Amino acid sequence: MFLLKGKREGAQTEERKHRTEHRPIEEASVPSTLIYPLSMHIGAPATPLVEEGDKVKIGTLIAEKAGFVSANIYSSVSGEVIEISDMNTTNGKGPCIAIKNDFQDEWDEPLFNEGEELDRERKLKIIEKAGIVGMGGATFPTSVKLSPPPEKKIDTLIINGAECEPYSTADHRLMVEYAKELIEGVRVLLEIVSATNVYIAVESNGHESVEALKKAIGDSDYIQVKELPTIYPQGSEKNLIKNLTGREVPPGGLPADVHVMLMNVATTYAVYEAVRLGKPLTKRITTVSGEPIKDPKNLWVRIGTPIEELIKECDGFQSAPGKMIHGGPMMGKPITSGRVPVTKGTSVITFLEPEEVTTDERTACIRCSECLNVCPVSLQPILISNAYENGDIDQAEQLGAMDCIDCGNCSYICPSKIPILDNIRSAKIEIRSRKEKK
Amino acid sequence: MEKTQLLNKDKLSIDAAPHLSSKRSSSWIMQQVLIALLLPTAAAVYFFGWRVLLMVAVGILSCVGFEYLFQKWKKQKTTIKDYSAAVTGMLLALSLPVTAPLWSLIVGSAFAILIVKQLPGGIGRNVFNPAVAARVMLKVFFSPWITNWITPVPDAVSTATPLEYISDFTPYVPAEVPSLMDLFLGIGLGGNVGETSKLAIILALIYLAVRKIINIKIPILFVATVAIVTSIYGNFQFDYMMTHVLSGTLIFAATFMATDYSSGPLTPDGKTIFAIGCGVLTAAIRILFNFPGGVGIAILIMNACVPMIDKHLAPRIYGHRKRPVRQRSA
Repeated sequence: MFLLKGKREGAQTEERKHRTEHRPIEEASVPSTLIYPLSMHIGAPATPLVEEGDKVKIGTLIAEKAGFVSANIYSSVSGEVIEISDMNTTNGKGPCIAIKNDFQDEWDEPLFNEGEELDRERKLKIIEKAGIVGMGGATFPTSVKLSPPPEKKIDTLIINGAECEPYSTADHRLMVEYAKELIEGVRVLLEIVSATNVYIAVESNGHESVEALKKAIGDSDYIQVKELPTIYPQGSEKNLIKNLTGREVPPGGLPADVHVMLMNVATTYAVYEAVRLGKPLTKRITTVSGEPIKDPKNLWVRIGTPIEELIKECDGFQSAPGKMIHGGPMMGKPITSGRVPVTKGTSVITFLEPEEVTTDERTACIRCSECLNVCPVSLQPILISNAYENGDIDQAEQLGAMDCIDCGNCSYICPSKIPILDNIRSAKIEIRSRKEKK
Repeated sequence: MEKTQLLNKDKLSIDAAPHLSSKRSSSWIMQQVLIALLLPTAAAVYFFGWRVLLMVAVGILSCVGFEYLFQKWKKQKTTIKDYSAAVTGMLLALSLPVTAPLWSLIVGSAFAILIVKQLPGGIGRNVFNPAVAARVMLKVFFSPWITNWITPVPDAVSTATPLEYISDFTPYVPAEVPSLMDLFLGIGLGGNVGETSKLAIILALIYLAVRKIINIKIPILFVATVAIVTSIYGNFQFDYMMTHVLSGTLIFAATFMATDYSSGPLTPDGKTIFAIGCGVLTAAIRILFNFPGGVGIAILIMNACVPMIDKHLAPRIYGHRKRPVRQRSA
């Protein structure tokens, strides 16, 4: 029957993970100056609690969450606050705190006292206090996600280890090297949300991680490791939910609407460190890769480390890069300054060669229907793109522009090199601004 | 800093995601079709002689030439480098008998490229498959010249195609019809040069499917539908059904013409309906009318239905209950 199905629901992009997938995580050297954007999460920017000249330690709260959807920010080194002003970040210029490292690596007080009994509410509070956000890139505050409205009872917890972006191996290495801690993190989450089905989703190219996880899970039979085909974008929320539970998130809805909660593996690890060890979020694993990089690596990075420090850590370039991307090559954001810091959501920094980023000349659509074949949410991408180019925003909306998950498969696959995703995104912006006007 | 000096701000692209693109281009896709067409071309040369190559050359040159001239005249960017005109020329040459005069190829090419393809706006915008439309046009208006079937050299005698025996309300296989194996291999058959050897066409089909150029469900459903309808009509005689399947231009057209992008549906369910529709119409035209050229007409009728099919069979979007409805056609 596979012949008649004819629908792949995703694209077989090249994985390009071979240079880093077997490389153990290394500790990146800590720079002398670190920069903390006040807005490295979805929601309101945090409010600074320190002033220039203040002494800080690792785990000192330097900026406090401002509102329900916001997150605390901690210093990742010990030293002195040297500047609070607008600086370049991965999201353009924004308010930041700069700290000069004194290389003493002194720790501040833990998030809770040793020996303290932690109940469910207290654990949730600790996760909130630790400044944890979705570390797969979405950067949505985890404590908010963990408190869905009571009528949306969660029955399924999905730990997302399906790292589908090419080059990205940070989550993979975490699962291989920290499987035990990760499973402990899952147990913490289960103490907060009482889900009956627990899946750890891994792409089928990650055999090493599957074995490590299964070993760490041991006899416990309620946590299941699920190997999924390596098809981009396997790790997208909507696709994982569909593939693991058969449920579909309603248009404009959240996973909680279908009783599912998703948690990235790096976030789960941060939850473990916060609730079991009392450590706030001050570091993360970042992959630095791509052909131009001489010695690509998976690195434990202190949050706030400028990206150029990581390039040095990887022995610099073997060829001049044509593009520097915060994130993976399918959904990441191009950046031009090496001074911008690693944030809570920086899972990979990708460098591409100039030849890889030159776009071929656009030609007429030949109606090959490949964009329909690879769209993970079954849109007709080229028709939305055409509608936008014809100025017909109503039609773009009728065709489901707002359901697009920005995965980029349509533009990737298009043999006529039509900027389909660009057009759909522009259509979405117009649809939203129209709604706001009404 | 020396290690990061290669990071030159001015040389970094800031184009939006996705930052990678597939290596497949439109011209590469058309090249694959041309490569696949070499198989039936080789078989045709084997069965009908070197004139086939002359026909193919004239077909390609005139299609490419007409497209070039039209676009020069209209001051448009020329698109001959996308090889789509060459594909049309090759298909047209292979869908005529070896006796077809060369001028008929030129007339057919002019019709295919100028009227069918370029008039609606060029590649991707034509409603009808140019090669199919030109072939049907030639059959209708120039039939004495292009339906003079001959069996392969050296006998070179005029003959009827196997189809002429079994159309005309004959739900059984008359004795004159060649054996199924001969039909499959193309031995001793009259007909259009490219469609005689089913073996060569099936190899080409496999090549195109492996390269993911065509959606293999279209030829399979098309041929299977013809098989089912003719089985029912023929009281489930295996030979009768197989003679229909292996005769005429069915397998050739199902492989190379029904799978055309421009004139076919975009949507997955649309492709299913399109292929089944082609099959039902082909069988119906063959059975109901004493008219062997049914495949071309069936495809053209289904081509005309494509906008309607796509409009009603848009895929159901993730999370939605119903298929999206478009108010206007895009």
